[in-house]
Amino acid sequence: MNERIESFLNHPWAELSVRWLLGGAFVVASVHKIADPAGFAKIVYGYQLVPHAIINLIAIVLPFLELISGAALMAGIYPRSAALIIEVLLSVFIVGISINLVRGHQFDCGCFAMGAADRPSAAGLLLVRDLVFLAGGSYVLGYGGSPKWCLWHPTTG
Amino acid sequence: MMKGFVILIGAALITAFTINHFSPVGIALIGDWNTRDGVISARSKLNVVVHSREISLAQARALYGQKGVLFVDARPAEMYMAGHIKGAVSLPVGELDRLIEAFARAHDPDTHIVTYCSGRQCQDSHMLADRLSDYGFSHVKVFADGFPAWKAEGYPVE
Repeated sequence: MNERIESFLNHPWAELSVRWLLGGAFVVASVHKIADPAGFAKIVYGYQLVPHAIINLIAIVLPFLELISGAALMAGIYPRSAALIIEVLLSVFIVGISINLVRGHQFDCGCFAMGAADRPSAAGLLLVRDLVFLAGGSYVLGYGGSPKWCLWHPTTG
Repeated sequence: MMKGFVILIGAALITAFTINHFSPVGIALIGDWNTRDGVISARSKLNVVVHSREISLAQARALYGQKGVLFVDARPAEMYMAGHIKGAVSLPVGELDRLIEAFARAHDPDTHIVTYCSGRQCQDSHMLADRLSDYGFSHVKVFADGFPAWKAEGYPVE
């Protein structure tokens, strides 16, 4: 049984599928944040975890980190570096969501302006999703074989 | 791996700041997030938060009930139904496109309007004030602390 799982995980198609799913999820997640940076900044504010002075910088930069690393992971441009960036982002999200779960903080400004799509989803679900993504990222990082369909994959990349 | 890491992060930073600079929905590098200064905002290019429009709880109370003063509730209709400042009319920003024409026809442009929503973390009151001034209402104020503060003070609600 273990051997079958191992041979499945070592298969290049498995690695490619995980890269596409994880990369695709990050690209999709970045789109509405890029379309509405002010709304996303308000969500960052709502987490009440970062100093006011850097909220906007996070709202400007983070969606593009997601977009570029997600796209790079899919296209196979420095795929391992892209996976590493994604792992760092996911770790930050997981820590942030966990802190707010533990302290029972959920932001609700009672406003329409945030838009339905930006309403905070159930934190527990987000946490589970990010943990699954984190596992996917570690798999890509630890993959021993030669990844399939890479545009630019230097051995160091 | 280090090289790819630096290249990807560099690409993300350059793209992020370039696009934010030229985008019509771009935001300032530092936002306006301190509720002590009034209603918070990211200071985007579409920003509607104008602190000079904001009035305090005491100022709102002083205007309340005066002739020619109308309180307008910017929150969603369900929240208005659940409780609002007594005498206020509902004009939810989510339905503004549908409702604002009729509102503008029904009220004198010289009416002194006080908009409010759920407090300083909520921009709906400013969004409403912005649209009303576009429609020719020239005396529009924003009661920044909104319904929760009004209710907490024991002022008239219904």
